[in-house]
Amino acid sequence: MKRVLEGSHAVAEAVRLAKVQVISAYPITPQTHIVEILSEYCTKGLMNARFLRVESEHSCMAALIGAQTAGVRTFTATSGQGLALMHELLHWASGARLPIVMAEVNRALAPGWNIWVDQTDSLAQRDTGWIQMYCEDGQEVLDSTLQAFYLAETVNLPVMIVLDAFYLSHTYEPVDVPGQEEVDRFLPPYVPKFQLDTAHPCGFSPLVAPGDYMEMRYHIAMAMDDALIRFGEIEDAFAAQFNRRYGPVEAIECADAEIIFVTTGTVTSTCRLALRDLRAKGEKVGILKIKLFRPFPCERIREELKGAKKVAVIDRNFSFGAGGIFAQEVRAALCNVPDHPPVFGYIAGIGGRDVTPEMLTEIYRQTKNSDAPKKESVWIGLHEVNNAD
Amino acid sequence: MIMNESANPNPLFMPRTYLSTESNKTGAWRFARPRYDEKTSPCSAACPAGEDIARIEMLATQGLFKEAWETILLENPFPSVCGRVCFHPCEDLCNRREFDAAVAIHSLERFLADTAIRYGIKPDLEKRVPRKQTIAVVGAGPAGLSAAWFLTLLGYSCRVFESATEAGGILRWGIPPYRLPLAALRHDIQQIEAQGVSILTGQTVTAEMLEALKKDFDAVFMACGHGRGMAMNVPGENFKGVGEGLDFLRQIREGQAPACEGVSAVIGGGNTAVDVARSIVRLGGKALLLYRRRRRDMPAFEPEVEMALEEGVELQELVAPVAVAQEGEKILLTLQEMMIAGEENSRGRIVPDHGKIREIRVDRVFKAIGAEALEAWHEPDAADREMLRLTHTILDRRGTGAVMVFGGDLTNATKSVVHAVASGKQAAIALDILFQEGIEAVIPRLEACLVGDGQSLSMEVYLGDERLLRNPHVVRYAEINTDHFQFMPRVTQPRLLKEERARSFEEIDLKISAQLAMKEAERCFNCGLCNQCDNCYIYCPDSSVIREADHQGRQIDYDYCKGCGLCVVECPRNAMSLGEETS
Repeated sequence: MKRVLEGSHAVAEAVRLAKVQVISAYPITPQTHIVEILSEYCTKGLMNARFLRVESEHSCMAALIGAQTAGVRTFTATSGQGLALMHELLHWASGARLPIVMAEVNRALAPGWNIWVDQTDSLAQRDTGWIQMYCEDGQEVLDSTLQAFYLAETVNLPVMIVLDAFYLSHTYEPVDVPGQEEVDRFLPPYVPKFQLDTAHPCGFSPLVAPGDYMEMRYHIAMAMDDALIRFGEIEDAFAAQFNRRYGPVEAIECADAEIIFVTTGTVTSTCRLALRDLRAKGEKVGILKIKLFRPFPCERIREELKGAKKVAVIDRNFSFGAGGIFAQEVRAALCNVPDHPPVFGYIAGIGGRDVTPEMLTEIYRQTKNSDAPKKESVWIGLHEVNNAD
Repeated sequence: MIMNESANPNPLFMPRTYLSTESNKTGAWRFARPRYDEKTSPCSAACPAGEDIARIEMLATQGLFKEAWETILLENPFPSVCGRVCFHPCEDLCNRREFDAAVAIHSLERFLADTAIRYGIKPDLEKRVPRKQTIAVVGAGPAGLSAAWFLTLLGYSCRVFESATEAGGILRWGIPPYRLPLAALRHDIQQIEAQGVSILTGQTVTAEMLEALKKDFDAVFMACGHGRGMAMNVPGENFKGVGEGLDFLRQIREGQAPACEGVSAVIGGGNTAVDVARSIVRLGGKALLLYRRRRRDMPAFEPEVEMALEEGVELQELVAPVAVAQEGEKILLTLQEMMIAGEENSRGRIVPDHGKIREIRVDRVFKAIGAEALEAWHEPDAADREMLRLTHTILDRRGTGAVMVFGGDLTNATKSVVHAVASGKQAAIALDILFQEGIEAVIPRLEACLVGDGQSLSMEVYLGDERLLRNPHVVRYAEINTDHFQFMPRVTQPRLLKEERARSFEEIDLKISAQLAMKEAERCFNCGLCNQCDNCYIYCPDSSVIREADHQGRQIDYDYCKGCGLCVVECPRNAMSLGEETS
């Protein structure tokens, strides 16, 4: 049934439909709408779940680690500072191979105190062993959240569903909310591969000596590689049920494109508009939307970008001293490909600033007019700052 | 131990251990040591009878009304009386007062007594081994009967001699029935008699008879009280038409209330004066209460004064009678106006406002400015330095005869029912110590039985019961973890309307239901006492609080307790303490 939902509620609907059994959360803007409505669902009996209020995000993830180890399906949502506070336990969740699902609403890190969108918070967690999916609109959020449980539980790794603050979390769009029976046909009930059992008491995650630790890590690496394959299979199953598919990346008019934008999140939608206008003027331009960030779909990216003359990566994030993070990842994916296109790095929309079609057209113009990328990222739309006090 | 877990195509190389973490005795890390440490509630320290109020309310919350009532009886044989006429200093120091409002301890005491009466409950109190000594008690007022009650509990046989036709003393003859109905008083007295106290009424003890008692008994407790009104020492005070307030109250209690039409002046500011004035209103007269200080300085209990004014009593402050004269059918009262010259002992110090004298004409005058012993030999000799002077009693064991003990109003600085109970209890315990251990033990043993840091004696502590184990530290409001309590309004004592009150001697305070009483008892913080709320058990991050069947119901497993102190902090009522680890 189509309903007009904000992105936050699209997440919540998916969590309800996935029959999550334990939810724990600490409120933080712009994530709060998600857990607010979930707590209502729990109170009203629309979900048969325990909602654990905790005193911090660190405790929240600790609680979910406990609950998931006990053998139930779990969920949380957070943003920005909250995710940063969880950091230690993010490593634990993946190391303990717990298929926890989290919605992470991208929020800029303080200071300056800022509640608006910026991807640096989730990208800073890229080495924690979590699968990460960046979503473009409400429907993709709902669909990806349902798939996330399936994927997490298949490969025993936690999944982070990432969505832009406000542009997605607080924007109302028509979303097709499937019925429970349809979802049940797609998503099997959670059967833990290991769990706490009072009949056979044991302790998980004790001290592991050098003789075994490396193998444990290698298995996580194998699971992450496997996740790329499983992602495709789960998308097939999902498409069979719901007739929607997103792909780890989506290539938009890339076949004949000379310049290809690489985008993530809601900027992709804006870029689709810019693309339409540029194509109307005869410009050969395409978009490669990256959805899956971990595991990083290198093969698909090489494949889609191989025919382009130039690649322009738009990063709503920044790694100080290195540049935009997606640009680095794309460069790394391409560097061993002979005659690969040069990668131009652009920084835009940091801290919630609007990214307009005009800006994207400007990025296209600069890329087209430059022979080679600058050494540093190019910051789009910077104001002149007067230091007068 | 590490094992491969999975049949899944993805290897799931998961470490597991089957060794119990119990082998790691984390208690060795501890440098602070929590312990169950029950303390003293401020109400119980403030109660002159030392009632274990925090525990009484805890039992009431659980619906254990009989046990709660018995807990009162261990310290005070007059719950039905004190639930009505006590001035409840306990409520003034209730920690809950700083949170929202004090717990209605007074109303709850009455509820428990009423419940015992209603269901004919008999107390199951342990009686000690019989002792050979016998004790004579002179006066069946609250002090005498309390002494007899506690001495009986301690195994002594007592005989109480009462000059009036019925026991009760001031309770029977000096407090009007609208405050203390006869049935309520008689129940407490029957309870005392049922315990084995024998009361001989109509038996005035004369000076000669006292000498005989001293020969026949091992001790005599003098508790014949202050039955005679004090003189004003002004000209004309013995004219016809000038009466004693106490006599007037006795006549009412005897069922021979005098006519009171017209205006009656009542001189005084104590409870007797207020009772006389309110009784006059009930008999159809107009009462004019004349007091030499201000209303706020009156020794009468403030709620009583307030109700008296509501009922139509007129109060004139800062006036002292200087002469009484007859003027035809009327009495001419000459009043000197007084003024405040300063403050002393939190009361106003007064001096005559020279030149300001006025006259009023009234139909009669009642004096109620204080009372004294009927006979001079009732009182202990104030100059005698050989007597053992305790806080509420005076002991004299010279000579070969019986030990003489003076108590009640004869020795108490504050003349109240609950202070009389305290005096009777002190006399009983002091005599037991004297008989069993000798005179030298009296003071140190009594001091060991004080409740908290106050003056109140506890019989339960003296008997070596569980209460003995409590820390005398009196719990302060700051030591209550109020996060675990919610605001709840205090129960409102239901009362007769003022129009109904002024028409009859019906009891003013009405009963409260068991439901209301339990709800009110639930408001009690139970300062310093474990009510087994299980917060320690729930909050302990190391599962080191163990439920046990001992009196506390809880124990700390020191093998694993790391001494984080969470249990102590989360104990809502300060029944735990955190100390330095010494071992």
